[in-house]
Amino acid sequence: MDYILSGLVQAFELLFQGDPETFSAVKTTVLASSLSVAASMVIGAPLGFWLGYARFPGQRPIRVGVDTLLSLPTVVIGLLCYAFMTRRGPLGELGLLFTIPGMAAGQTILGLPIVVAMTATAVETLDYRLKQTLLTLGTDRRQLLLSTLWEARFALALAAAAAYGRIVSEVGISMMVGGNIKWHTRTITTAIALETGKGQFALGIALGLILMTIALLVNLTISGLKRVSGQ
Amino acid sequence: MSAPLYQLKHIHQAYGGRRVLDVDYLEIEARTITGIIGPNGSGKSTLMRILAFVETPAGGHITFHGLPVGRVGLDARREVTLLSQEPYLLKRSVQANVSYGLRIRGVSHTGASVHQAMEQVGLDPSQFAHRSWRELSSGEAQRVALAARLVLQPKVLLLDEPTASVDRESSQLIQRAALNARNRWGTTLIVISHQLDWLRRVSDRILTMDYGRLVDEVAASSRLSDKPPS
Repeated sequence: MDYILSGLVQAFELLFQGDPETFSAVKTTVLASSLSVAASMVIGAPLGFWLGYARFPGQRPIRVGVDTLLSLPTVVIGLLCYAFMTRRGPLGELGLLFTIPGMAAGQTILGLPIVVAMTATAVETLDYRLKQTLLTLGTDRRQLLLSTLWEARFALALAAAAAYGRIVSEVGISMMVGGNIKWHTRTITTAIALETGKGQFALGIALGLILMTIALLVNLTISGLKRVSGQ
Repeated sequence: MSAPLYQLKHIHQAYGGRRVLDVDYLEIEARTITGIIGPNGSGKSTLMRILAFVETPAGGHITFHGLPVGRVGLDARREVTLLSQEPYLLKRSVQANVSYGLRIRGVSHTGASVHQAMEQVGLDPSQFAHRSWRELSSGEAQRVALAARLVLQPKVLLLDEPTASVDRESSQLIQRAALNARNRWGTTLIVISHQLDWLRRVSDRILTMDYGRLVDEVAASSRLSDKPPS
């Protein structure tokens, strides 16, 4: 038990002393996850709107496919991204492997199904009178899309928070696509995995505390949004 | 001679195989007030949604200003607006709700018009402009929804039982505001209402619907409202 307690004490020392290695991992994590959540929202919200709003042949199988992708393992995404981004791969020339944009691209694939599925559900459950109201007030197609998404803004924020929670805690993509390079692509989760393997519990626990704080903030955001959207 | 505002020929609509509307022929002239009465489920609201271009009939031919509906552009569609019995308010303030239609038309300075529209329906802008959609009674919500239509100065205002679920004061304010629109801007009014006395007083003619069909038409002779501007 002693080594766990001393690790915890050292962890707080690292945090309060502003240990640069710890905060480098935090910065990389926040940067990559923010980029990927933003990309997931920009791509996923219109797709989710289309999936929840339009009626077309094959809609149900697509919906089932999106729901299935919700449980896509991060190592599988990491493997696919690695295969595409490696020098021999189709995206090799872009030089994305072992970079933060490369990690963000992989994490976007992770967040996209969450945003698409939750946006589609939000749009499906909107008041049936909304579309008629917007049309009778004179919207064109673009205005109809934007206004509908704005009416579902609390649910969209909820989707963003859920995607962020999944992305910030993943290891597989960061490890395989980022390469866990110190001061460069090392994230909180990959650092925890590495430091624990080396028996350096203090840094691992310090990073774990930060990750749990981020997770707590995300959960508080989600419950706050649920309360607001339920009114 | 100019084309009628609306001309409907052999219009029918069905939901899940059940025919809910079957109108052989109907013409509606501009700047008139048409009342529609009939029991629940007689197709009145379906007809209104078709006239408002938010629903496409299963069959038949409709013209608006002489143009087939398929060729009616956004500008012409924006001349028509519909207020339903239980309107939906956007999850915004009253002011944002009323100004929405103007802003999507690219109008940037909406303050004066919005306040004017709110006053038309008996809502004091200083009290109501910044209220949330959540803080309104059903009568106030209905009046906000009407103000959101009146601010557009529509050429055609379709009212689907606008006073059915509101208090007497709101009901009178809504009726008065609708007639004002007709008198000030020459707005064509098509009104579904169970308040037969009111319809008799204000309408140029009253259509009766049953089982999706137009079964009767009465020209109202004792209309009290003013003539529209020429």
